[in-house]
This record gives sequence, structure tokens and C-alpha cells, in this order.
Amino acid sequence: MRRSGPIRDMIFGLGVFVLLALLYVLVDDAFVHDIIIKTCIFSIFALSLNLLIGYLGLVAFGHAAFFAAGAYVFGLFMQSEYVGPDSAWAIPFGVLLAMVGSAVLAAAIGAICIRAKAIYFSFLTLAFQMILYSAILAAVPITGGDQGLMGGFPKPVFLGIDLAEASHMYMFCAALAIIAALIMRQVVESPFGYVLRMLRDNPDRAAFLGLKVKLYQWITFVLAGTLASLAGVLQSLLDIGAFPEWAFWAKSAEPLFMILLGGMQTFLGPVLGAFIFEVLNAVVTAHTRYYGLVLGAVILFFALGLRRGLGDYIWQLVSDRREASGRADA
Amino acid sequence: MNRRQFVAGAAAVGTAITGFPAIANAQASGPIKLGIPTILSGRVAQLGISSTNAVQMVVDAFNANGGLDGRPVDLLIRDTKAKPDEAARVTRDFVNSDQVDVVFNCEASSASFAVQEVVREAGTLCLHNVSETSSLSADPAIRSPNSFRFARQGIHDAVGSARYAAGIAKEKGLKKWMSVSPDYAYGRDNTDLFFKLLNQFGGDDIEVVGNGWPKLFQPDYTEVITQILQRRPDAVYSALWGGDLVSFIDQANLYGMFGSIEFFTINLADYTTMSALRDLPEGLHSGTRYISSFPDIEANRSFDTAYVERFDDHPTNWSWECKVGIEFLLAAMTEAGTADGAQVADALRGMTRPSIIGVGPDNSVTMRGDDQTLINYAVGWGTTVAEEPFVTNIQAADWADIVEHETAWKQELGYI
Repeated sequence: MRRSGPIRDMIFGLGVFVLLALLYVLVDDAFVHDIIIKTCIFSIFALSLNLLIGYLGLVAFGHAAFFAAGAYVFGLFMQSEYVGPDSAWAIPFGVLLAMVGSAVLAAAIGAICIRAKAIYFSFLTLAFQMILYSAILAAVPITGGDQGLMGGFPKPVFLGIDLAEASHMYMFCAALAIIAALIMRQVVESPFGYVLRMLRDNPDRAAFLGLKVKLYQWITFVLAGTLASLAGVLQSLLDIGAFPEWAFWAKSAEPLFMILLGGMQTFLGPVLGAFIFEVLNAVVTAHTRYYGLVLGAVILFFALGLRRGLGDYIWQLVSDRREASGRADA
Repeated sequence: MNRRQFVAGAAAVGTAITGFPAIANAQASGPIKLGIPTILSGRVAQLGISSTNAVQMVVDAFNANGGLDGRPVDLLIRDTKAKPDEAARVTRDFVNSDQVDVVFNCEASSASFAVQEVVREAGTLCLHNVSETSSLSADPAIRSPNSFRFARQGIHDAVGSARYAAGIAKEKGLKKWMSVSPDYAYGRDNTDLFFKLLNQFGGDDIEVVGNGWPKLFQPDYTEVITQILQRRPDAVYSALWGGDLVSFIDQANLYGMFGSIEFFTINLADYTTMSALRDLPEGLHSGTRYISSFPDIEANRSFDTAYVERFDDHPTNWSWECKVGIEFLLAAMTEAGTADGAQVADALRGMTRPSIIGVGPDNSVTMRGDDQTLINYAVGWGTTVAEEPFVTNIQAADWADIVEHETAWKQELGYI
């Protein structure tokens, strides 16, 4: 049985980073760079949701709550009086603060949501997201209400990284996306990750074996929420603000679409989905106003035509061929 | 120096002499690119459609007359789906990939702030033509030297609205007031500011006996209507807009609400809203968003006629805002003789031009230099009638009064 080791994954991650860096140097096109940055952000968002959907079998409809929480905590901190143009510590501390804050939020929400099963779990997560959305709209003096965090914020240089520079922002997003993906990869390939699959396939049997089902679900929920907040932080850095639309239910549909497009059984399926989603958005929007029509048609093609995401489809093809050649060799 | 170095040097010099001017000429003679992020899909698609229609009319005429020294204006129009992050992405794309000369922002609400942050960082000239949120240009922490606002402003409308309402209240003895406005920042801010100024202008007699805050895009208003009928106020103020206002008026009409209560609504007098009503009740008080009879000048009526001929629909409030914006931009380019952002910005500051919507000297509007925002545009209130011109007895707001109270408001918020 082929198993991936952490070293192999890290070499793969490093290779992807080098490829993305080369792409930046060789393709001098801001349109392409923007697509890669957004794909990196969406990849973290979709991969983190797939921890719950693909590996745990819990369909969360309110995942954007943590995306928005990360963006707002980070944005509010960067707009605070403690941060100036020379506060070199501000961005790393802000990222950490946003992730810790979101982890606490996810811990509280998760503790309640995992008590419900199936569709009730899904709608509870949605309910908490809408509570957060309403709170953002209501707390106008803090959040700016429906206008969002206005007036921008500084991006102080840290460790020689100047995120106001397009190339630095690109590399920063790529690096964090790869690190986040590596963390999630290690989780799903660890014994912990195999327990998650068991919980997905037969929670009753897992409980009968003495596993603390709720504890595993809660830890995964917190991890997924914390990593989704990192995506929110990067989006906030990119747009120099935070907006209530990021906490609205429609935002939670985006990573679901990405997972549908890319596939949920292959680890990198959501990354492929994020790329397809972003390319579709950027290219279709540039040529027609009927973006929703095109997205709907593409999803229909994947759902009815391939009957799975593209990543899963390709992986299935490769597996079938390997099997066939194995049989031929025998 | 060897032969290879000599040849390379000669080639470089040759390129500098022959190539660079050609490139420079190509840039100076190519089309002037305007990037327009706007909403073309969903419930408020009319915003983007009516905005870009007006821009297209002006640009077509400009290009037909030879453009800027032979350079035509090219419009790049993209849908942002009313999402702030998408507005930011589209704007970044305009700036970095399309290398537009100007971002002509036709975004509403929060997306305009997202656009503003992109252009602030990029330094590209930007015209905000739709968002009515005052802080976009009033707050020095948000505005930037490269951004100009051609959209009407909440604070300007609030002064005009409260002054008109205070006059009617005094005339008809309207003391008990209620409000029904959408439950989000625009609705609440607009209503709070209106009543604050109404109390200031109308004296201590004004009493607010209740507020209704229906959700944005709510289809059923019977609850708030029955609440109003129970409390029996003398007058109701509303900041509802678009389809929400249409639904409210249609439903309130069924209850006969307008027979006994004076209704003040800032957003009714716009053709698309009025035409969507089953019956436009007579005697409602409305702010003039856009109607061809205010200001009652030939240029305004001609614009409406030409727009209807071309698009088979009337212009909207967004149309006039964008028309004024694009006319100022093209005039500034012509005056500066270039599309260079910094020089065009210099020409825009303090510029005064005649306009279909102008109520300044000779029907002019002015791009005020200190906060780069439009003033002297038509702010008026009148009463509705069922037939054309739909609004009569229009009272124009006094801009000296508006500016005086705008200044006080800015001081109160620490903007100046």
C-alpha cells in the first residue's frame, strides 16, 4: 500500500512553491497572478471545509463564519491604534490573533453544532453564521455595518516581506496556502485522519469501539474553522478591508461549489475546484454578465456528466488504468 | 570595445531613437480606456444597466466628434455581482492587466469602499458615481487625492428632506411622526439624520412615535402597515427604495393608509420605481431622484427623450450621476489635453460645468475642490400626481443651507 510520508509531502509542497514562483517570473501578467492568489486563498477555504465534508461526512453550511471572523479580527487589529506603518510585528501577530480568535469561536460553535446530526448539524452551522452576519451589521461603530471596514490599513514590512508589493503578496499567499495544505495533509494521513474516515463511514461502530466520536468531530471542526480564518486573513490583506458579505450564507456556498467541481475524495480535489471556480469567475465575468448561467451549466456537467468532481474523476481514471495494467502483468 | 558590444550598443541606441517614440506614440494615440466595475446581475442589475447606458450615450457622442485628439474612449464594463471582493478583483484587473486610464466606479455601497482601497494603493484616477454614503468623500481617512465623487450624498439629501418636511409639518400641523425604513446602515443612518434635522428645523413640536425597520428585500409589509395604522401618526417618513418601496406603497394603498397620513419618501420620484407601482397615489411627498421636469430645462428633457428613444426606458438617478461624471471627465481630459490621471485630476478640482441636473449659476454643477465631491445638483421635493410629470409643486433645496449644515455635520464627526 502506498502511503505518503511527511518528507515526501514537504518536498512536493516545496516543488509546488518553486513552480508557482517560476510562474510569477515567467508569466508577467497581473491577471494570472491575481487568479493564483485567489486560488491560494480559496484552496485553504475549500480544503478546510473538505476536512468536515470529505473526511468526516459533516456538511457545514456556515463555514464562511470563520472566513469572515478571520478577516474582521485581522482587519480591526490592523486598523487599531496599536498598529502603525513601522510596526514590523503587526502582520504576523495579526494573523496569529485572527486564527486564535477564530479557533475560540469555532470551539464554542462546534461544541453546540456537533451535538446535532446530519441536516440539523448543517443548519445549526448556518444559524451561527447568520448570527455573526447580523452582529457584524448591527455593530456599526466597530465593524462599519453593511459598509464594511472602511479606510484601509497599513501593511508594515516584516522580515523583509512587503505585502504592498505584488510579488511579495503573491509569494506570501502561495507559501501560506502550501503550509496550510501540508498541515491538513498530515492530519488526514495520520491515524487521527483514518479515525475521521471511520466516523464518516460508520459512527456507531466507531463509538462501539470506544472512540470519543464527539471529541474527534469537535477537534476537526475547530481545526477547519481556524484554517478557514487564515483564508479570511489573506482575503482581508488582498482587499485591505473586510465586508459583511463574507459572513453571508452565500459565501459558504462558494467552497461547496469548489469541492463539487474538484472532488471531495482526492486530497487536492478542492484545490483543483478552487482553481476552476476562480478561472471561471475571472474569464466569464470579463466577457459576459451571465456568469451564474455558465457556473450552473459547468456544475451540472460535473454532477450529471462526470458524476463527481474533476479531481476524483481523474484519480479514478488513473486507478482504473493501474488496475488494468496490473491485471495484464499478472 | 569588441564587435559584439558595439553591435549591441548600436542596437540599443537605434531602439531608443526609433522604437521608443513609436511606443510612446502608440500609447498616446491608442484608445483611452475606462474600466467600469458595476452590478449587472441580480436584484439591482438596473443600477449597472441604467448607469452604463448613460455613459455609453455620452462616450458615443464624444467618439463621433473625434475623441481626444483622435483617441476614442473605450469602455470596459464588468459585472461585480454586488460583491465587494469581486469589485476589488475586477478593479485590480482593470488597473494591472487592462491598464485603464480611469476607473469609472458604478458600484454601490460597500463595494465602492473596496474599489476605493484598490485605487488608493494603485494611484489610478477614480470617479465614484453611484454610492451615496457620505463618508466615502467626507471622511479624510477614506478619500484620496485621486478619487472624485459624482454621486449625490446622504447628508445633502437629509438637509433638503428635513427642511421640506419641516415646512409642510408647520403648514399642516404634523406633530406625530413615524418611520419605515430598511433595516441596514443606509436606512437607519438616513432616517436618524432626517429626524435629527427635522427636530432642529421643525422645533420641539415634532415627536417620533415609532419606527418600523423591515428587512431589506422583504416582500410583506402588512405588519408595519398595521402598526402605523394603530399608532395613527400625522406623518410617516420612509427611506425604502426600489422594489421594497413599490411593495410597501402597493400594500399600504390596499389599507387606505395614504388617505389619513402624510407620507414622505425620499426615493420615489425615479421613473423605474414609479412605473412599477400598480397605482401611483396622489399627494405623496417625494424627493426628486430623477425626473425630466426637475430642473425644468430643455437639456434635461432632451436627455430623457434621447435616452427613451435609444433604450426604450427612462433614465434613473444613477443615469444622471454617471452622465455628469463622464461629462466632467471628458471635459477635464480635453482641458488638460491628455488622459494622464494627475493632470486630469488637477483639471477636475473646482471645475464648474452646465449640467442637466445643475441648479448653480446657469444650471451648473461644481466639483468642489477641497473634498472632491459634487455640489449644486438638483435636490428637491414635491407631491405626486398620477400622470406626467408625476411630481408637481417641487421645492428646490437651498445649497447655501445644505452646505452650512453639511459643514456642521462634518465638524460634529471630526472630519474637519
